[in-house]
Amino acid sequence: MQQHRELSEQQINVQLLNGTLATPRWWKWAVLGLLIIVLAGFSTFGFMINKGLGVTGLNRPVFWGTLITTFVFWVGISHAGIMISAILRLTQAEWRRPVTRAAELLTVFSLITALSFPVIHAGRPWRIIYWILPYDFSRGIWPNVRSPLVWDPAAIGTYLTGSILFLYVALLPDLGNLRDRTVGWRNRLYSLLSLGWRGNSRQWRMQTTAGILLSALMLPIFVSVHSIVSWDFAVTPSVEGWHSTIFAPYFVIGAVHSGVSAVVTMMALMRWLWKWDNFIRPEHFDALARLLIVVGTAWFAFTLIELLYSFYTLEAQELAFRDMQIFQWPWAFLFIVFLITGFFIPVPAWLFKRVRNSIPWMFWTSISVNIGMWLERFLIIVPALSRKQPFVYTWGSYHPSLTEMMMIVWSLAFVGMNMLLFARFFPLIPLFEQKEAQAFSSRIQIGRASVPAVLREQEQE
Amino acid sequence: MVQPAQQIAAHHWGMTVDVDRCTGCQACVVACQAENNLPINLEEHFHQKRAFEWIRVERYWEGEFPNIKARFIPILCQHCENAPCEPVCPVYATYHNDQGMNVQVYNRCVGTRYCANGCPYQVRFFNYWEPVWPEALRNQLNPDVTVRSRGVMEKCSFCVQRIRRARIEAKRDGRAVADGEIQPACVQACPTNTLVFGDLNDPNSKVSKLRNGRRAYRLLNDALRTEPNVYYLARVDNDEAEVAHG
Amino acid sequence: MASNITAAPDHRPTFQEAAGELVSKVRAGSSASRLWLMIAAALALVGLVGVIGRIIDGYSDRSAWGYYAAMVSFLLSTAAAAPMVSIAPTLARASWVRPVTRVSQLFASVGVVTALMHIPLMFALPPLVEEGVRRRSIWFGAGAYTPHVWGTIAIFGLTFLGLALLWASSIPDLRAIAESGEGRRQRWAARLAMGFIGTDTQWKALRMRIGVLGSFYFLFLIFTHLVFSADFAMALVAGWKDAIFPMYHAMTGLQSGLASTIIAAYFIRRYGHLERYIELDQFWAMSKLLFATSLLWFYFFFSAFIVFWYGRSGPDQATNDLLVSGPFRWAFFATFLMSFVIPLFTLMFNPVRHSIRGPVIVSFIILGGMLLDRIRIYVAAWSTTGINDRYLREIPATRWPDIFDLMVILGTFGAAALAFILATRLIPAVSLWEIQYSRLLTRPARFIRGHALIIGKPD
Repeated sequence: MQQHRELSEQQINVQLLNGTLATPRWWKWAVLGLLIIVLAGFSTFGFMINKGLGVTGLNRPVFWGTLITTFVFWVGISHAGIMISAILRLTQAEWRRPVTRAAELLTVFSLITALSFPVIHAGRPWRIIYWILPYDFSRGIWPNVRSPLVWDPAAIGTYLTGSILFLYVALLPDLGNLRDRTVGWRNRLYSLLSLGWRGNSRQWRMQTTAGILLSALMLPIFVSVHSIVSWDFAVTPSVEGWHSTIFAPYFVIGAVHSGVSAVVTMMALMRWLWKWDNFIRPEHFDALARLLIVVGTAWFAFTLIELLYSFYTLEAQELAFRDMQIFQWPWAFLFIVFLITGFFIPVPAWLFKRVRNSIPWMFWTSISVNIGMWLERFLIIVPALSRKQPFVYTWGSYHPSLTEMMMIVWSLAFVGMNMLLFARFFPLIPLFEQKEAQAFSSRIQIGRASVPAVLREQEQE
Repeated sequence: MVQPAQQIAAHHWGMTVDVDRCTGCQACVVACQAENNLPINLEEHFHQKRAFEWIRVERYWEGEFPNIKARFIPILCQHCENAPCEPVCPVYATYHNDQGMNVQVYNRCVGTRYCANGCPYQVRFFNYWEPVWPEALRNQLNPDVTVRSRGVMEKCSFCVQRIRRARIEAKRDGRAVADGEIQPACVQACPTNTLVFGDLNDPNSKVSKLRNGRRAYRLLNDALRTEPNVYYLARVDNDEAEVAHG
Repeated sequence: MASNITAAPDHRPTFQEAAGELVSKVRAGSSASRLWLMIAAALALVGLVGVIGRIIDGYSDRSAWGYYAAMVSFLLSTAAAAPMVSIAPTLARASWVRPVTRVSQLFASVGVVTALMHIPLMFALPPLVEEGVRRRSIWFGAGAYTPHVWGTIAIFGLTFLGLALLWASSIPDLRAIAESGEGRRQRWAARLAMGFIGTDTQWKALRMRIGVLGSFYFLFLIFTHLVFSADFAMALVAGWKDAIFPMYHAMTGLQSGLASTIIAAYFIRRYGHLERYIELDQFWAMSKLLFATSLLWFYFFFSAFIVFWYGRSGPDQATNDLLVSGPFRWAFFATFLMSFVIPLFTLMFNPVRHSIRGPVIVSFIILGGMLLDRIRIYVAAWSTTGINDRYLREIPATRWPDIFDLMVILGTFGAAALAFILATRLIPAVSLWEIQYSRLLTRPARFIRGHALIIGKPD
């Protein structure tokens, strides 16, 4: 199955730098198209600031809607990077190598996008600084550390900082490589960024140590970020649908589900757009799909337990809320779509080896997961708010306005555009990881069979 | 520079709502609207579910026609001692003051609306639009009350401007604030004396006596432990059979 | 192949050495193991007396059964969880796990003790409907004895699956024993080996069976923890609604299962003189997992704690009062220290992880923490009153163990050890075929000047 093709280091350089040292023809048009959407999104934001949040579909009692849903969605996507890079690095999974960079990048850009949503969503975005910056300015009031909304920027800020560091450390060897292959201003840029990388053994040792240390340090942050986002909801006793102890691990495992799926989507795109068939191979999709089967099933089990315990107390307003969420139009429809796209299409499909090894199949199933995961957050946030307490008089409903839809589209375009811009200047697949993988791959002869093998360095006792 | 507390909190404001007396006339709602510079609730605001009613009269139907009864319950900010809205605000725009009131500082608010999600009574309101009044009504705005801009939360303040004024006047005259001297707009407007406002720290105030009575209860307090300062007095039906039925 | 890799001398036991040594270990039964067997049997007897005493004492006082329930849960969270140590890494194709798969699977034999101990407990659990009032449970409107039925199915099913897994994965070794000579043990082994002679098809079927049984065991383990924790703890406390609790129960079980495996591996290595098979690498790898699960202990605990603490509604406060800050706070704080703080600040250092004594000592501490954790949960849950209230109005007083409880606690350890040691006398404690397999698939090598291992990854 392992269709290894040995490439020389020259070939690796040439093929992986094809989007960086040259510009593919489609690149300009893609960036331009996305730029138009991004600008339209910024105009929409300006419109929202100018008119007030009345232009959204929000009301009383549904004070949070698709904007917060999309915030949670992007924070979820951001769990891709550390899952792939840090956890798989610590567990020494070889197949992570070609996707680490892209996954970390997705983390960085999706976090930036996620962070912008609470700003867009706030009533007075121009005063946001009082909320997120831990400083008392002239007001004599610090942000309220008891508020989960203050934990959020702290956790996400830490995660973003760490992710950027992580990305940068892993980028250093490739920056050195690029510096040696460019002239003019790009050469000066890469010289500056590569911090004098020459690839001697001391630098390699430091780079590796930094990678492992950052992996280990990032793991608790990785878990804490989505947990804290989930506590925005879970600590509120007034909203029965939110006040559940399972939320933190449930959100984290759901985030991994959607994040890893997003990485699969991106891998398929990378393979198609830059023609990196030699690097992103069906075996990588296969391994990710196997991981996703476990993650997806665990996430589904959490979903079921969450539902089980939502009925546990059999209290009137909880039942009314679940009745709306699961059985009433249009929520029932969304709920079914959520279950089908989030679990029942992709996970059983991945059980088949033909699906796992087919790039179009993996592309569409991974997109399906993310549709489902967006709906999951939507179905948690909105129905719970619209059936809050036993006072029937104040129950309500919600449908998103065009403005809010536009911001969702904007977020997708914003992340896509940033990825493309990054790919123009830096390689999306780490060159050095590719070379290291080749150096470490080996074969073992057992009788007449030849088995693919990997090399593990060992400490001498 | 932190000032030493100049006076120990002598007051602890609270209210009783006698559900038995309420006729659902909505006078309190209108009075509050006028007193506190609430935006005009147009029909479309109700359709959008964005109307402002710092105090609202909820109406529930009990029984089947023809033995049907309308039940009214006025609901306003409960000024919880243990308010779920307070700890969640990232900028301290809402906090508990030393007189038992849950107060909202409009100028601090950034509009996260988290407090509104935390409030189980749904008495917090968000300014989705910049409020506008017809030219003819510009001069009727209460000068003692801030006009809120778009993007901030607001809610019942127990007519804090009236409390302030009464305390200043009492201090000027060198006397204590008398029971019943302070009347929030809704209390003042209520024709059936459903609403009673006063100092819960004063055992002889009318409100203290009422809340210590047998009929007193607090909304959602058993489950949520919010410890509201608004007490409700249960409805008493003459027809025993129907009480058992309902 | 990269030219930087060169072959290195191989110091591992040869196929013949391994076969001879591991099979003979089963045959001989060392004197040390006989001594341990006697001690375990004596303790198990004490426990039996305790159980009988408990039963004679009667079922009228539910709170008297708290410690007993805690011990059943303790076994579920240690012995029943231990086989996962082999299942999960095997599914992930980790190669370090091969020498300790058997150790972890041998814990399935303790399932017999768990199942037996569960029987008297079933009678102590109140039915869902008492005096016409139905209490909250995950079974909603089902029959009054639904939890009893499902709890029993879960625990007996888990025991059965565990034994099946143990049997399936020891078939090649049983064949090796059967062919090692003449005698009663050899005849038994031949019968259990079911005609396995090592054809290609048989190996394929064997691996398939282990994979399927392992996955099922995992699913059943989660199910058992869900059912047991929900019925025997949560449903007994009014107003305790805690969706993460079954997962906390299972998760902490995995931590203690790892700890149990580490301890068992240590004793087998030490007293079975198997230093050449269970090496430092195994302890190193397991202690990494132990560290990870210790962090998860805190995560799963805190996920519930903060929601209750911040929510501070009536049920929230009552639950935290009962389980954390109330009558069993001594047990809670000790658990917190032993299951999280001490493992965190020891296992975070590589020299501790990369040793044999380090992980073993930490494992003992973790097992102590687990015992106290189950006591704080189950004894508290079983001593509450007002089971049908909206939430707990009255926090019960601390209940200390009586003489029967102490005997049951001691006896549980004794019976578990007894079952385990007896199993090692029939089945090699280190899987012979896994050792041979790993010898086939891995080769020591030199990478430039460093030492390395080439690990084959067949599909």
